[in-house]
Amino acid sequence: MRRARFRRTRRAGAVTLVSALTLTALAACGTSSSSDDDDNGNGNSANADPAVPLDPKTKVTITIDCMPPAAKKAELKEWNEDVEEFNKTYPNVTVQGRSTPGQCLEPPRFTAMLKAKSQPDVFYTYFTDLAQVLDNDGAQDITAYVNDKSVPLLKDIDPDVLGSLQQDGKLYGLPTSNYRMGLLINRSLFEKAGLDPDAPPATWEDVRTAAKKIAGLGGGVSGFGEYSAANTGGWHFTAQMYSLGGDVVDASGKKAAFNDAIGKQVAENLHAMRWEDDSMGKTQLLKWGDLQKQIATDKLGMFLAAPDDIAYMVQQLGAKYENFGMGPIPGGKNTLSGGNNYMIKKGISSDKIKAAIAWLDFKNLSVGKGQFDWERTKADGLPVGVPQPNFWLNDSKTKDDAARTRYATMPVQNFKAFMDNPVQGKAEPPKAQEIYKVLDNVMSGILTNKNADVDKLLSTAETQVNQVLANQ
Amino acid sequence: MSTRTLISPAALARPRGRLLYWLCFALVVVLFTLAFLGPLYWMVSGGLKTTQEAVQTPPTWVPGSVHPENYRRAWEVMDLARLLLNTLYYAFGALAFQLVLDVAAAYSLSKLRPALGKAILGMMLVTLMIPATVLVVPQYLTVLDVPIVERNLLNSPWAIWLPSVTNAFNIFLLKRFFDSIPKELLDAASMDGAGSLRVLWSVVLPISRPILGVVSIFAVVGVWKDFLWPMLVLPDPTGQTLAVGIYSLATSVPENVLIAALTIASLPTLLLFLVFQRNIMSGLTAGGLKG
Amino acid sequence: MSAPTLTQDPAAKERRPRRTRTGAVRPPAGGFGKALRRNVTAHGFLIGAVLCFAFFSWYPIVREFLLAFQKTEDGKVSWTGWDNFVTVWNDPAFGQAWRNTLWFTVLALVLGFAVPFLTALVINEFRHGQGYLRLLVYLPVMLPPTASVLLFKYLYDPGFGMFNEVLDVFGIPAQQWLQDPDTAMLSVVVASTWMNMGGATLIYLAALQSVPGELYEAAELDGAGLLRKVWHVTIPQTRLVLALMLLMQIIATMQVFIEPFLLTGGAGPEGSTTTVVYLIYQYAFNFNNYGAAAALGLILLVLLAAFSAVYTRLNRATEE
Repeated sequence: MRRARFRRTRRAGAVTLVSALTLTALAACGTSSSSDDDDNGNGNSANADPAVPLDPKTKVTITIDCMPPAAKKAELKEWNEDVEEFNKTYPNVTVQGRSTPGQCLEPPRFTAMLKAKSQPDVFYTYFTDLAQVLDNDGAQDITAYVNDKSVPLLKDIDPDVLGSLQQDGKLYGLPTSNYRMGLLINRSLFEKAGLDPDAPPATWEDVRTAAKKIAGLGGGVSGFGEYSAANTGGWHFTAQMYSLGGDVVDASGKKAAFNDAIGKQVAENLHAMRWEDDSMGKTQLLKWGDLQKQIATDKLGMFLAAPDDIAYMVQQLGAKYENFGMGPIPGGKNTLSGGNNYMIKKGISSDKIKAAIAWLDFKNLSVGKGQFDWERTKADGLPVGVPQPNFWLNDSKTKDDAARTRYATMPVQNFKAFMDNPVQGKAEPPKAQEIYKVLDNVMSGILTNKNADVDKLLSTAETQVNQVLANQ
Repeated sequence: MSTRTLISPAALARPRGRLLYWLCFALVVVLFTLAFLGPLYWMVSGGLKTTQEAVQTPPTWVPGSVHPENYRRAWEVMDLARLLLNTLYYAFGALAFQLVLDVAAAYSLSKLRPALGKAILGMMLVTLMIPATVLVVPQYLTVLDVPIVERNLLNSPWAIWLPSVTNAFNIFLLKRFFDSIPKELLDAASMDGAGSLRVLWSVVLPISRPILGVVSIFAVVGVWKDFLWPMLVLPDPTGQTLAVGIYSLATSVPENVLIAALTIASLPTLLLFLVFQRNIMSGLTAGGLKG
Repeated sequence: MSAPTLTQDPAAKERRPRRTRTGAVRPPAGGFGKALRRNVTAHGFLIGAVLCFAFFSWYPIVREFLLAFQKTEDGKVSWTGWDNFVTVWNDPAFGQAWRNTLWFTVLALVLGFAVPFLTALVINEFRHGQGYLRLLVYLPVMLPPTASVLLFKYLYDPGFGMFNEVLDVFGIPAQQWLQDPDTAMLSVVVASTWMNMGGATLIYLAALQSVPGELYEAAELDGAGLLRKVWHVTIPQTRLVLALMLLMQIIATMQVFIEPFLLTGGAGPEGSTTTVVYLIYQYAFNFNNYGAAAALGLILLVLLAAFSAVYTRLNRATEE
């Protein structure tokens, strides 16, 4: 589901989005960008003006991916209900969903889709895909279309989140969900090992101690788990660097920055946990999905994860909500952040764009409706109370949080440690995929080779990453 | 077995020889059974375990409790019925294209001998020398935008069918077989006024049944087992083949359900094989020797 | 014994009959019109396959060469000379991928080439149960490769896998299999051999049955033991098939993809299962760098072609 959220990224500047949007919206008629080949900005009628929301009478069909598949009965039911509800306001808009049985987005498939320009009108991406989508000229600049009329709660959306969907002041997508990485724990294993599940380890030393105790339970249980394959190893190595205030690429974006004391600390800590304490399990070369399977079957005490993994594990792997808790990332200096969103295919008609925005606003960006209709979510037996997505500010946040607590289907206090100690989010490095590929080797070296030479692993990786960064 | 092999019949006839023979035989049979059926047993039984038991250390040889519903769950969650149908559709489509186009080409090259025929055959055979995986990238880019006709074949069965025709090995096998058909036979037919198509249909094809069988098996098995190419050109999950579909869903189901899915995915070809084993094995040996 | 050699003999044999045929059946008096008609029919039969080759084989081959010297940026294609090759050469994974691929090839020859041959030798000696044994060996070939590979991943698991459990029965300590940089590649090859040895075994079996029994008898008269009989009779007698299979095995091995891709996520412990083909895949489909992918592919292509040429020549030399 989120395997690829660590893809290439762009460091979003701290743009104050709302004002930029308003300005652009005002100037839209005159500044319609030259690369846009549709007719926005040319007409004078209300229909052609991008700033005016969709006329409810408009007849148009939009295609959209990542509709829940038949196997996810409850979610599909909600989707259909939402389409019906949406059609009460916009009776002539046909929302044509496409579903995917597995992950909505897998990198090779996504790449192929962009190359072939076969994406639907509205397509699902991760925040980190923006650069790739723009390289392939795949997304519509929707700056002029998005304003407080078409998306009434625009001002309450976290500008950092919107910022990840912007480039050069232009907006290319609307968020669905966001995440910040924390420490996911298995509460029953914590209790069995005599640890307090309400106080997840806050430092890496605590993690090590706790992991050792949990692994001591025996029967193939490991205390702490990490990835080391399919580029997810490098992704988590990056997360650990961030958690200690380190970085993977320096500020210039041209030099590797992980071959330092912090990098060494991360590597040595993992090596000690794997080989001295034997608290990380024998099976390595894991990738996204593997640790989830382990913790869902009570074989793993903790690992770094985003909160939405919990819903995934309960729905797909048959785990129980009560069994999980979450704390902030150990170390707590910075944490990897990201999310997913929908973009709109470049070159479709302005009515389609407006219809798409109207649908996304209704489904994903309205407090109390669509994905934020927690009352219905609870009635359908789906999880309420997972702390994310949460990109609201101000009034919207207050309202949404209250509804979440009111309809919670799981003990919300299990996430108290995570909620009460927010850690500053930090985006992924440039050329993330290539760097992660290199760092995978550091991870797999530490975790599969008892005699791994940490200094050598790090310095080799440094040379390799420098080459990657030089080749841009 | 009437043929004489390494060990002389005389040595086997001696009591000591016979004992040794049976000992070796028993040992090999047991060893092979374990080596080749053991993993399959582990697969079938793993699919019957609970999620917990499937990932238990140490593992169990016999499931503690039997859960056939894993198989149903795998069937539903992974939508195996659709994946199977897709694969059959691609495989038999590819078979049809290969039988029609490759047989026609081989017949033409062998018996009709067009101008430049040798050069064309040579160019076809050169492709055998080019590793398939090297060509994956340019082939993929071609499928994205087929020149001249300017079509994008991504997610379309044509992306499997048309490239499958470029099977120089099959053309070569067919041509060699056609070459061995005595020309008197064809000459007699064309003297009777039969056109080329008629000669192909009523003289060549009936004689060529064995080689057609071999080529068909290669064609179907080729599509059935291919992984990288269908993964790239059929990215839409609803149109994927069984091999790719299972891979892309592997991380999103519990281990026991995944193992159950593997068992289900293995069944069709295994059954086919057990039923037609004689034909398949003799066909493959014949084809292999000819190659 | 590669494709060109194979084509030569039938073509050579036919050259003569063809001349007589054109002479006898179609008298030269038939003239230009008839020849034209014959050619039109012949090309009509040929055209479908030729078009497929043109679009999906010949054109991509040409394109592979072009791509290697091109760069695509923002949808614009430009020539870059040898830049892609420099990029590939400088990639730290380049050397490792080649070392791994060679190591894989060596292992695959030891296991993937020798094991089926020995298996065939043994099966061929039995007067009973040959059918059953052949069936067993060929069974895995019929499984979808994804199923076999994922099954092996499950069997290899150091915690709940079957293999460590089997070792335990014999009192051998648990192994890390795919998890250890030293044994990862070997484990991949074992899985690959299990999956693919059936075809080769059957071919060897067929070849063994064609070895004339008198030769063994003659060797026995000379007092040859078992090993000497294998060395002096069996191997020379099946040399053609062995040579062909060796070449096919090497070419197939150099292109291995699915086994490491699914078993170790491609790269493997400390990158120990990164193969050249996996690197090509990474360039093209993860990094969007088709130029580098094509350049690396071209290097692989040239090497394999050189290898095949040398091999064919050596083979011909030994035949004479």
